[in-house]
Amino acid sequence: MALLQISEPGQTPEPHQRKRAVGIDLGTTNSLVATVRSGTAEALPAEDGKAILPSVVRYTDSGIEVGYGARAAAGNDPYNTLVSIKRLMGRGLADIKHFGEQLPYHFAEDTGGMPAIETISGAVNPVQVSAEILKVLAQRGAGSLGGELDGAVITVPAYFDDAQRQATKDAAKLAGLKVLRLLNEPTAAAVAYGLDKTSDGGDVTDKTIAVYDLGGGTFDISILRLSKGVFEVLSTGGDSALGGDDFDRVVAEWIAAEAGLGTDLDAGTQRKLLDAACAAKEALAAEETVAVAYQGWRGSLSRDKLAELLDPLISKTLRACKRALRDAGLSAEDVEEVVLVGGSTRTLRVRDKVEAFFARKPHADIDPDKVVAIGAAIQADVLVGNKSREDLLLLDVIPLSLGIETMGGLTEKLIHRNTTIPVAKAQEFTTFKDGQTAMAIHVVQGERELVADCRSLARFELRGIPPMVAGAAHIRVTYQVDADGLLSVTAMEKSSGVQAEITVKPSYGLEDTDITRMLQDSYANAEEDIAARALREAQVEAERTLEAMLVALQENGAELLSEAELSELEQAMQSLRQAHNEGTADEIRSQVEALNTLSEPFAARRMDSSIKRAMQGHSLDEFDKP
Amino acid sequence: MQQNHFEIFGLPVGYQVDRQALAKRYRELQQEFHPDRFAAKSDREQMLAMQYAAQINEANNTLKDPVARAAYLLQLRGVERKAEQTTADGAFLMQQMMLRERLEEVREASDPQAELEELGAEAAALFSAQEQAFSDALAANALKDGESALSKLQFLAKLQRQIEELEEDLLD
Repeated sequence: MALLQISEPGQTPEPHQRKRAVGIDLGTTNSLVATVRSGTAEALPAEDGKAILPSVVRYTDSGIEVGYGARAAAGNDPYNTLVSIKRLMGRGLADIKHFGEQLPYHFAEDTGGMPAIETISGAVNPVQVSAEILKVLAQRGAGSLGGELDGAVITVPAYFDDAQRQATKDAAKLAGLKVLRLLNEPTAAAVAYGLDKTSDGGDVTDKTIAVYDLGGGTFDISILRLSKGVFEVLSTGGDSALGGDDFDRVVAEWIAAEAGLGTDLDAGTQRKLLDAACAAKEALAAEETVAVAYQGWRGSLSRDKLAELLDPLISKTLRACKRALRDAGLSAEDVEEVVLVGGSTRTLRVRDKVEAFFARKPHADIDPDKVVAIGAAIQADVLVGNKSREDLLLLDVIPLSLGIETMGGLTEKLIHRNTTIPVAKAQEFTTFKDGQTAMAIHVVQGERELVADCRSLARFELRGIPPMVAGAAHIRVTYQVDADGLLSVTAMEKSSGVQAEITVKPSYGLEDTDITRMLQDSYANAEEDIAARALREAQVEAERTLEAMLVALQENGAELLSEAELSELEQAMQSLRQAHNEGTADEIRSQVEALNTLSEPFAARRMDSSIKRAMQGHSLDEFDKP
Repeated sequence: MQQNHFEIFGLPVGYQVDRQALAKRYRELQQEFHPDRFAAKSDREQMLAMQYAAQINEANNTLKDPVARAAYLLQLRGVERKAEQTTADGAFLMQQMMLRERLEEVREASDPQAELEELGAEAAALFSAQEQAFSDALAANALKDGESALSKLQFLAKLQRQIEELEEDLLD
């Protein structure tokens, strides 16, 4: 392995090498990987020239197959061929019962909260299945860019809740990807269209955009305001269980009814009906009427009939548009650009309805299948530090309110939906009984008043509260949502000076230890050495930390540090370099941690100094004005 | 660094806020302090950036919202309010009851849309009047009057939300 070259502080570091970053659209039906090369973002094709990778994973007794081959086998091998797995991401067993009948799989019985599907090579969970898709795309990216990836931006539907986001991030981890950011799909699409530039290349000062994203399994609507490179999401809404698959389903049901097949159909028949439905739907983009045949039955489907079948579903999406506009304090007339995303917006009826709703012709010139991956690639390029679009900044929002359970099973919202992230909110609670020493904290997500109607994200207990009369304790609960939209919760008792604190990362039944185990399982298959992998990861972390520290020292080490502090830091850096070159993964990690701890005051001073500078720059601006 | 929400944006402390200046300054600050700008920095700096960006967002949300802004201004002057605090102004409460009754009867009106629009315009006018009352009270440092105006703003904001919700229901 090539060793990292590190220059002494004060010397110019090596010219910045271009980093390898990709954007990945992990879709319900199809997935893609894209990257920015020579200033242009493009989807990366596989060896066969196709950029699209069907999000289908087939487990066989001889291995795992992902993509077109797997999809072709879906009809004949429905139980081992997993399609639309994204719908199950971050879902609990209860959710599966809810829409499980639409899925032809055998769900494993006892899986500790997370659904697992029985296949010929054992039970697999949605995170593992998604990781298989991501691995293929990561390999394609690395092969195409000529080396290990430095990072990836992975897109998620804006409407994904915390558990679904966490599951996506876990899948990436399992696939060995460094996630730079989880990016909302509609935001990615808006970036891809480059609506932030006027036709002569100038900056757009203020513009309102609606992104209508109807994919295979999810619908998202986002309202954004764009100004000088900043995409600010004003509101977002949608339905995480509505998409083109449902179009196919209603058409398939119509075929089954017309052909007199009844409703109790086996998995293979269902799959074949869905394929026939999908083909008919797609053919209607070019024809007024298409012939539909299923086994002995022959009939025809017209555009009008299709419209009749689809309209109830499309109306659902338009109601969500209305709600999103209202949340943004806008009406349909205020929207200046409409962008269509997702394969299902190819359906003419959808286009017509959207155009009528906004009274404006929507943008659809970038391939709706590729637009999200392209936007993600642009964002990945910025985040990894390739200075292609320095002014580009995405300010996203949290899609669903985050609350806490209070007395009587009611939800108290701490962070409301459509709040810009990152965000932190604290609220104080108190004890209910005299002498109460513990408090159960139940974290929920959703808009409804009753906890039972919201999604349960996590439960934990705060213990060690000093006994007091009811109502005397002050328990401060803080919710923090990071820029990926992921939540962490802290609770602290503070009235008597005694502090107890706990931090949880809400999950969907998947613990960190589960991930480690799944990683081990996958290495066992991939003949990869876990220890080697861990060492490499620690080394990359060390390199990143050292590089960040060097840049920081060059920027204002002399100004903000005493000589003693500076030499202490340099010693810690030297120890880390040595550990990087000679140490084990654990040794490297502990040196990284030591350097991080030692540099804490420096980091704080740097932040203060940036804030002061920002303030000063601002007041100077004000004085400059006539 | 401890800054109040107004100081973050370099705006004068007061009820009147220049919305455009706020929006512009907000975007400038996020350009500088959003975690995306710290992707290559150390973990500690990333954490600090996230915290400061969260503070910028919180300040922006508070100053953008007329009710939250009023509550915050009172808080800066040492007035801590309880969530369920209500107004003792009998005439105002009576007026609110009448408005709510009208809202409940909108569906039965001969032209619900028109009735709802009229109700919306009335609520908006009442809201503006209370904003003015709050602004005056604050300028005169009459904090009790300020609290009373804030309670009324909260009532009216809730009414406006209900009007919007009904509007959406009627459209469906």
